[in-house]
Amino acid sequence: MFFKKKPLWGKKKQLKTSYDAVIIGGGLHGLATAYYLAREHGMRDIAVLEKKHIGFGGAGRNTAIVRANQRTQYNVPLYKEALDLWPVLTRELDYNLMFNNCGNLNLMHSEAAMKAARMNVATAQFLGVESHLIDAKEAKELVPALNIKDDITFPVHGAMFHPPGGIVRHDAAVWGLAKGAAAHGAEIHQHTEALAVNREEGKVTGVETNRGRITTKKVLISAGGYSAALIHAMLGIKLPISVLTIQAMVTQPVKPLLDHVVSSGAYHCYANQTLKGEIATGAHMDPWPNYTTLTTARYIKHQAEALSEFLPCLAGLRFMRHWGGLADMTPDMAPIMDGNDHVEGFFMDCGWGYFGFKSCSAVGKYMARFMAEDQVPDILKPFTLRRFEQHRLMGETAALVNYTADN
Amino acid sequence: MALTITCPVCGKRDGYEFRFGGEDKGPRPEQEEMDPESWCDYVHMNRCTAGVQKEWWFHRDGCGAWFTIHRNTTTNLEETNPKERDDDPA
Repeated sequence: MFFKKKPLWGKKKQLKTSYDAVIIGGGLHGLATAYYLAREHGMRDIAVLEKKHIGFGGAGRNTAIVRANQRTQYNVPLYKEALDLWPVLTRELDYNLMFNNCGNLNLMHSEAAMKAARMNVATAQFLGVESHLIDAKEAKELVPALNIKDDITFPVHGAMFHPPGGIVRHDAAVWGLAKGAAAHGAEIHQHTEALAVNREEGKVTGVETNRGRITTKKVLISAGGYSAALIHAMLGIKLPISVLTIQAMVTQPVKPLLDHVVSSGAYHCYANQTLKGEIATGAHMDPWPNYTTLTTARYIKHQAEALSEFLPCLAGLRFMRHWGGLADMTPDMAPIMDGNDHVEGFFMDCGWGYFGFKSCSAVGKYMARFMAEDQVPDILKPFTLRRFEQHRLMGETAALVNYTADN
Repeated sequence: MALTITCPVCGKRDGYEFRFGGEDKGPRPEQEEMDPESWCDYVHMNRCTAGVQKEWWFHRDGCGAWFTIHRNTTTNLEETNPKERDDDPA
């Protein structure tokens, strides 16, 4: 019982003085990129640097929801591929990621929202993603606990039903990808802080860490909510990002009553029942940028009020745990994936807001291809940082939940 | 964590009365010398400082004043000594 087990990703190793590529951030995006670099592109001499432990940040704090019901034709294919990859990765990694494709039910509370959902569904169907528009009665048939009476703050008009979405166990994804990356030769260095990215004549030459200097020609910063601050501090590149704490919580466990992920933009609330029986639910982001990841009574009250209106049988349940993570929001609610532009050999993968978890598998695959071939894959082209100065912002803000940090 | 903000008119109040107005980015670029890059920089780009930064606030549910404060983004506490600033001044 008390023996020390070797972690899945191998014993702690000495940090070498040189690697072919260094990835800053041991979250899901960094680990997935390392996995695909080593597995698909034969780049095995790579190091993932993580200041704390892998999965400490957003990777272990999200509410584990996966879906591909985004708004624009640029985003949907990426998320669709990410969704399709979960069963593939489960097999490849030989690790149960506990993918439960229970389907997502996105509640609409007005005719305007139904109209927006109609557009979303049309986009999804055009791109081969299963998504249906259903009315309140059909939603009630799917989720009998749902309240479709019109005496609540936001009565349910209908819903967007996205059957292929669902839940993946986020910790399993972290451990599985770390195991897979290590098995193909990548090194994962926890408690290793990157301090600076060294450059010479516009090219990356290395990384300074608290365990010494590394020589490398390629660096990826994929540090979740901390990416924007790191990229500005290390390379002087400003990003169109606001970093906000986002909170989540779980109730005490109850008997199975919720077979789908239910979410509502109007209530700023999403909920699913975990396999343990807890109702895991998440809230809106803090209205001002901060890195605290602290929780507030305000959102416990908000979630309790929202849930007891549209799922009234949950009234009286107690919240057991409550935590916060960071969401790095961009003005167009779409991520920034770029590289070899400002500095040769420097790649970035950030601005994922609260969608970083559901995208990590596909992003790892394409960021790895980008880094290995030094050529941006077509699917990543629209996500360039330059789109902001070209006034080509994406239409993801027309998705169903909006935010206002400073815009 | 909860936040209190000191409004120059109303004094120290609950943070939820205010609307965040963005990082302090210095004066708006002049029309003559403006190009897409400098405009984008002013409109969209942030430093995302993890530490003390100068920022704008609007007292939405109060007197309606726009003003700047210094706040530590890692603790949500106001900083009264602006020398303790971590973002480079605009």
